[in-house]
Order: sequence, then structure tokens, then C-alpha cells
Amino acid sequence: MAKQTFTTGQVLTAAQMTSLQQTAMLGGAASAKTASYVLVAADAGTAITMNSASATTITVNTALFAAGDTVQIINLGAGVCTITAGTATVNTSATLALAQYESGTLDFISTSAAIFIKGAGATGTTTESYNLINTGGTTLTGAATFTVSGISKKALFLYIENAQVSSGDRLRITFNSDTTNNYQFTGARSSAGAAYLPYRSGDVANIEFLRNGTSTTNGNYAFLQFRGCDGTGFKPFVATSNCTDSTTTGNEYIQSGYYKGTSAITTVQLFTSSGNNFTGGTFYVYGAQ
Amino acid sequence: MYMEHNNMKITSKEFNAITGEETITERDETAAEAKSRLDFVKELASEQAQAQAKAAAKAALLKKLGITEAESELLLA
Repeated sequence: MAKQTFTTGQVLTAAQMTSLQQTAMLGGAASAKTASYVLVAADAGTAITMNSASATTITVNTALFAAGDTVQIINLGAGVCTITAGTATVNTSATLALAQYESGTLDFISTSAAIFIKGAGATGTTTESYNLINTGGTTLTGAATFTVSGISKKALFLYIENAQVSSGDRLRITFNSDTTNNYQFTGARSSAGAAYLPYRSGDVANIEFLRNGTSTTNGNYAFLQFRGCDGTGFKPFVATSNCTDSTTTGNEYIQSGYYKGTSAITTVQLFTSSGNNFTGGTFYVYGAQ
Repeated sequence: MYMEHNNMKITSKEFNAITGEETITERDETAAEAKSRLDFVKELASEQAQAQAKAAAKAALLKKLGITEAESELLLA
């Protein structure tokens, strides 16, 4: 039950005693939410369930809770629920993002600071189907660089559909805006309709995965799948891509390799080598936990 | 279309998966982006020059042989 202020001589009802017992046993009724929510003082000592197919946030502000107060957060929905520091400070040794069926507790150490203790969830294996992170996909027009941020997933699947770019332009990706030589891959590519030739790119500043032919109306398609995206180790990937015009400068690629960054992936950038804007296509980013 | 001077503007779009917001920004290109762009322009020009030279050499050879392109393809088939 929510935190109470008891008075001398107050007689508790059976319902109140039952609720207190549930709370003491770390259970109790939860307040159900279906959209992003800002915690209020009455949430102290209670559980909040979030159930949304889209990403949501739980915002924590100052001057609402006292040291020793707790609020449990349970994410029931497919959308990632992220604990967000509003005016309060929220620290954690893990991540502030809760995937579906994950939970954690905000332990307030003062009126303005809390520690988020994330409960043990499934680890080591992917337990969730891939879900589209950038709702509806990102339309590739009017810019040379497209970023999808707010990512917190174990595995990522990137699909570039019918991208249209300058003649001979190359498509590349980076993670976390990392343009140091943290990308390494090998594979085979076919240029101008010739046989596949092996190649290797060691320690380069991005992953180049496709080259357009001579027409700006060619379709360029690619699949790239990454693993270990929420960890500190290398993120291995496999990819395949094609340009609908493979008879001129258009390339077809088969690749595998690593992103060697040591931080979890939170953003992905798709961009052209020319700096010219995309003129068509869709960028889909799927994630699995 | 291909600007060779420095300070080309790069338009970026960002979609935040947590908030669902899209932001559009325009900024000067970085040194690495400028190098990438200039490499791209040089590569494209080189490829176009090579393609033109190849086409000119082919046309000269056909003229020397006194046959059309279609006839040359028939010979090679």
C-alpha cells in the first residue's frame, strides 16, 4: 500500500492490515500505467506496472520522496520502459531500461536522489522476438545522416529497403557516433557484375556495406544483424546487401565482422559517403532483448 | 550537386526510440566527412574518365575493323 501517516489511537481495518502485510512481503497491488508516467509522492511504497507496446519512461523528480522510500517498477509491455531522472538524480550499476517482464526498484537515499536496483532478468540468451524500434521505419529523404537513438537491446537487425542515393555513392553505418577505427570486417563483393572477390577491412572508421550503381533511381537493399549489443565486448555481425543495378558500379556484398566499441550500443547512424542526401527508401531498426 | 569547397552542410535526422521524437539538424561537415566526400568525387571522376576512354577505344577499334557494335557482339557470342 502507499506510504501512510498513522496517528495515535488509529484503528486499522482488516483491509489495511492485509495490504500492509502484502507490502511487507514485497508484494501488494500495483498501479497500472499504459503510457509514460511521472512519479508522485503517493507512489512511495507501491509498485508501478507499465504496459505499452511503445517505449515509455518513468520520470523521477525531487522533493516527493524521503530517504528510505521505495518504488517498484515492473514492465509488462513490449516497449522498453526507461527510468528517467527528471529533477532528481537516479544512479544505477546496471541499465535504467527495462525490457518486457523486467523489473527494478527505486531506493531513495534522499529527497533528491535514488538508486535504481534492477532485478535479475534473463541473461545470455535472446528471449524476445525482434521488435521494430523506430516505429514505422525511418523514411530516407531530406538528410545525409539518419540516426536512431534510445536503443537498449541485446541484438539488432537493420534493414535498409530501396534506399536511393547519388550515382556511385556508398552506404555506411556507425554506432554511438563512434568514428574511430573500431570496425573490422571481411567478406566478398561483386562489382560491375563480375565474380565475387574476397576483401578485408581491418580497423576502419565505419562499416561500408553497399555501393550504388550509376542511376540515382536504383534500389539498394541490405540486411545487417548484430549481437551482444548491450554488452561491453565486441559486437559481431553478418550482412548481405545488393544494388538493383549490379552491371555498372553497383556492388553486392556478403560480410561478417565486428564493431569493437566497448560501450553498449545506444544509437546507430546510417549515412552516405558523399554527404549528399538520400532521396528515397526506408530504414528499419529491429531489436531483441 | 557535389560541392568541393569546405564547410558543406550535412543534414541529419534523428529518431529517438524512447520519446518517439524526430529532430532535424544541419551542421558543418567534419574533416573526416569532407575527406570522404572529396574521395568520392575523385573516385567518381576517375571512373567516368575510364569509362569514356574505354568507350572511345572501343569505337576506334570498331571503326578500324569496319564493323558495328552489334556485329562485334555476334563475333564474341
